[in-house]
Amino acid sequence: MSYKYIGSRGSGSMSWFLQRISGVVLVFVMVGHFILMHYNPEMGHSFDRVFERMQNPYYQMLQIAFVVLALYHGLQGVWNIYRDFKFPSWLNMTVLAILIVAGVGFGALGIANILHF
Amino acid sequence: MYQKSPTQEWTSNVVRYKKFSGSWAWLLHRVTGLGLTAYVLVHINTLASLQEGPEAFNAKMQVFMAPHWLFAAWILFGLVIYHTVNGIRIVIIDFGKGAKYHKQLLYGAVAIGLIVFLWMGYIMFFGHTDHDFLSHIVPFYN
Repeated sequence: MSYKYIGSRGSGSMSWFLQRISGVVLVFVMVGHFILMHYNPEMGHSFDRVFERMQNPYYQMLQIAFVVLALYHGLQGVWNIYRDFKFPSWLNMTVLAILIVAGVGFGALGIANILHF
Repeated sequence: MYQKSPTQEWTSNVVRYKKFSGSWAWLLHRVTGLGLTAYVLVHINTLASLQEGPEAFNAKMQVFMAPHWLFAAWILFGLVIYHTVNGIRIVIIDFGKGAKYHKQLLYGAVAIGLIVFLWMGYIMFFGHTDHDFLSHIVPFYN
């Protein structure tokens, strides 16, 4: 399929909006993440501490949301940058496919890491 | 007529390009964003050692406690904090009336970012922690 038929389907306003919303949510989650992981070295870097936190299902849900949002925001951002340049249609499809596969693959790995506990 | 090579063309475009504060903010936001996206993928991959059990995970984390890795983590935090404060600035510009004072917002964002960056360096390298206080304000803190 040629990318030009997909590329003209929407104005891109929805992805602009979702990028803002996911960014705002990430700001809050990131602050918590940095305090939890770096306020002292042991908290983020010892298995026991991670294990204790992961016993709480709400914490697990928060972490899953974090993984999904971070990957969405990051990969969507890469796609935004890529779309500022003009490339051949086959390359657009290839890059889009790589980004989607990377998102699904790393998302699955991240969620597996969390649900392992 | 003299024809510029593609490299010369690119170089002269970059040199002539007017680098206003807004375009620096835009460029840095993209560069830090690309770096952070790459890091998220590496980060998720590294944390897969959680599935291999305590020994594997603790051994891996011990590696990253070495001073040069700690320094790298601090620099990475620099990327995060810039992307965060400038991201908030972008939201204020897009959803509020920030376009009227976007330069002042940038200076403010960078000033706040620098303070948080230095504070984080202090915590990471020499920090001590008020656990009682944090356990009251941070969810899941233990």
